[in-house]
Amino acid sequence: MLRFLNILFLMALIASAGYAYTIKYQTSYRSEQIAKTKLEIKAEQDAIAVLRAEWAFLTRPERLQQLSDKYLDLKPMAVAQIVPATAIPEKSARVEAVGAEPGALPSTPVVGAAVTTPKAPTATVAGASAKGATPARGAARKP
Amino acid sequence: MTTQDTRPLLAPRPNIFRALRTRMANSPVFSTSLAASGPRMKIAAMGFLLLYGVIAGRLAWLAINPHLSTTRRAAAEAVAAARPDILDRNGEILATDVKTMSVFAEPKKLIDKDEATELLTAALPDVDASELRQRLASPKKGFVWVKREVTPHQREEVFHLGLPGVGLIAENKRVYPNGPIGAHVLGFANVDNQGISGIEKFIDGQGFADLHTAGFNMSRDELQPIQLSLDIRATHALRDELAKGVEHFKAKAGAAAILDVTTGEIIAMASLPDYDPNKPTDALDPLHINRMNVGVYEMGSTFKALTIAMALDSGKVNLNSRLDARGALSFGRFKIHDFHAQNRALTVPEVFTYSSNIGTARMAMGQGVEKHKAFLHKMGQLTRMRTELPESAEPIVPRQWGELNTMTIAFGHGLAVAPLQAMMAVGALMNGGYLITPTFLKRGEEEAKRDAPQVVKTETSEAMRYLMRLNAEIGTARKVDVAGYFVGGKTGTAEKVIHGHYDKNRLFTTFMATLPCDKPKYLFLTIMDEPQGLPETGGYATAAYNSGYVTGQIIERVGPILGVAPRPAPATPFPLLAKAGFGFANQPAHGGGGH
Repeated sequence: MLRFLNILFLMALIASAGYAYTIKYQTSYRSEQIAKTKLEIKAEQDAIAVLRAEWAFLTRPERLQQLSDKYLDLKPMAVAQIVPATAIPEKSARVEAVGAEPGALPSTPVVGAAVTTPKAPTATVAGASAKGATPARGAARKP
Repeated sequence: MTTQDTRPLLAPRPNIFRALRTRMANSPVFSTSLAASGPRMKIAAMGFLLLYGVIAGRLAWLAINPHLSTTRRAAAEAVAAARPDILDRNGEILATDVKTMSVFAEPKKLIDKDEATELLTAALPDVDASELRQRLASPKKGFVWVKREVTPHQREEVFHLGLPGVGLIAENKRVYPNGPIGAHVLGFANVDNQGISGIEKFIDGQGFADLHTAGFNMSRDELQPIQLSLDIRATHALRDELAKGVEHFKAKAGAAAILDVTTGEIIAMASLPDYDPNKPTDALDPLHINRMNVGVYEMGSTFKALTIAMALDSGKVNLNSRLDARGALSFGRFKIHDFHAQNRALTVPEVFTYSSNIGTARMAMGQGVEKHKAFLHKMGQLTRMRTELPESAEPIVPRQWGELNTMTIAFGHGLAVAPLQAMMAVGALMNGGYLITPTFLKRGEEEAKRDAPQVVKTETSEAMRYLMRLNAEIGTARKVDVAGYFVGGKTGTAEKVIHGHYDKNRLFTTFMATLPCDKPKYLFLTIMDEPQGLPETGGYATAAYNSGYVTGQIIERVGPILGVAPRPAPATPFPLLAKAGFGFANQPAHGGGGH
């Protein structure tokens, strides 16, 4: 009886030791994985930092202006080009010109009959254009 | 269990030592009875206790402070620390860190120093061999840099040398992607990533540098980025227009800035000639100083705004008062002349629009020297203005401030201040009377107004806005009257002092403009050092033709970027003045000035 117990305890001991070893092995494996991932995250973060710096370098206003001067036909936005939404004329009514009697055509387009633009008295184009504004081309304006 | 073994397992066995001890205790030679040796045992026990105590304490100490090897520690101290990113007001990157590799050596661990020198200089050709040998030979040093910031290719080569005692370490390198744009505000950091000037130095002053010296190396994600008040796009546009102006008018130097008068934020600033913070050696050139903040200048007629505000604020003068501007104003052997002489009595708006020296001198004299001094002190013009930038300049105040000084300072001669300082004062005249110290960090209106004293009355501020607007419509500031923006402005031309005398041909021109005049948001300032007269300006080199022109260009270009919407002129831009009976104030084009 006692011997059986002894053997049982011995086996239990071996099993628990084996289990403890597996746990320990897994733990060190996992912590290794964590350390590795942390390093990878660090490397990624560094790479992101470099890419962000590069993006900022490539999109610096000075360079964009040079490129715009060279390749685009854009001109600096004039103050007169900014108008409130209310100042834009409303869309004229659609006129079916094809097939109509020559005399039946209205001489002047009908304004504002069908379509109404949403009225926003204070909303202007300025806000939107300012956000996306690329540096204006300045070479055209010489004193 | 066997029956033979009857003795219990733990029963005391016959002990020979006990017999010995008993015998020795009984012998007269060794008196080692327990009673007699008690104190000695105690001493011994105490000794051991102390010994083990020390060991345990040391273990605990080491557990709390893990001991770095000396090299690692030296490297951590020498390595360039991570710095917080600097962003503009829209979140664009102005300064950031990138990782680079640097080569170091530990002379103590080098086996053959000459061989190491040879191999290292072969891999890194731009390292001076004899100098490196000397550094490696110094026996005291545990850590020396071989080369900072090597290329990836050089890094590979050094790695493949496999020299013991030579290592590579990752460092942070500061980069400024926008180059010279905003350079004077940013300042720069040296190779050790310590802030040397500008905002970079300000960041170090906030306790960041102390942390690094104490050995706390913060990584990038622990550092909060610093957000500036600058708008990089507006700054670029401003710098570009200024550069064109400086080139066109052949000026020696120029500077421009935009101030948000409601918050004190500097939206854009440029000073030419400037430098690229990626090449820090350029920053040391004295020509490259920040003329907005470090240079002090006599601001000329823009100072008249302060004098008129003082007179209006005291209540002694109102917009309808007339001042004698006939002939020249004599004081002792000095004579004060008007540039646009009218030779008659001028109203206050006329004094402003004709930029009459005599009129403003008379207004200042009406207040007296002491009141004039006190007012300028209240407006922050007599003491050094402190912003986040460590570089600043003390205004040059006359040592003996007599009546003549008051007369000349009234129109901007005899007192030299930093242009940014003058902007602060004029900003206070525009925004309803609050003196807000300019800042380079982003902040809100409540925060700015919290400790901003009201220095002039709201009515005075409105009167000044009216005068500025009037000047843009019919006066000397017509160059900036951009349609739809309701701009106001003031010119200022000062003669430079050469060898103790004012030189008529060397001018320092300034121009202040504000928009929109009924509720100012932005204040523009452009200064130019010795601009030249050109055929198309009729040979004139006064402020309106150069600084004024450039300011107009800047407003036209920057306005849309800042999201200022053009609109028709307001019906009643100056309600307080209208209430006080100055009806003409609401129709500046038709009244007031009267040519």
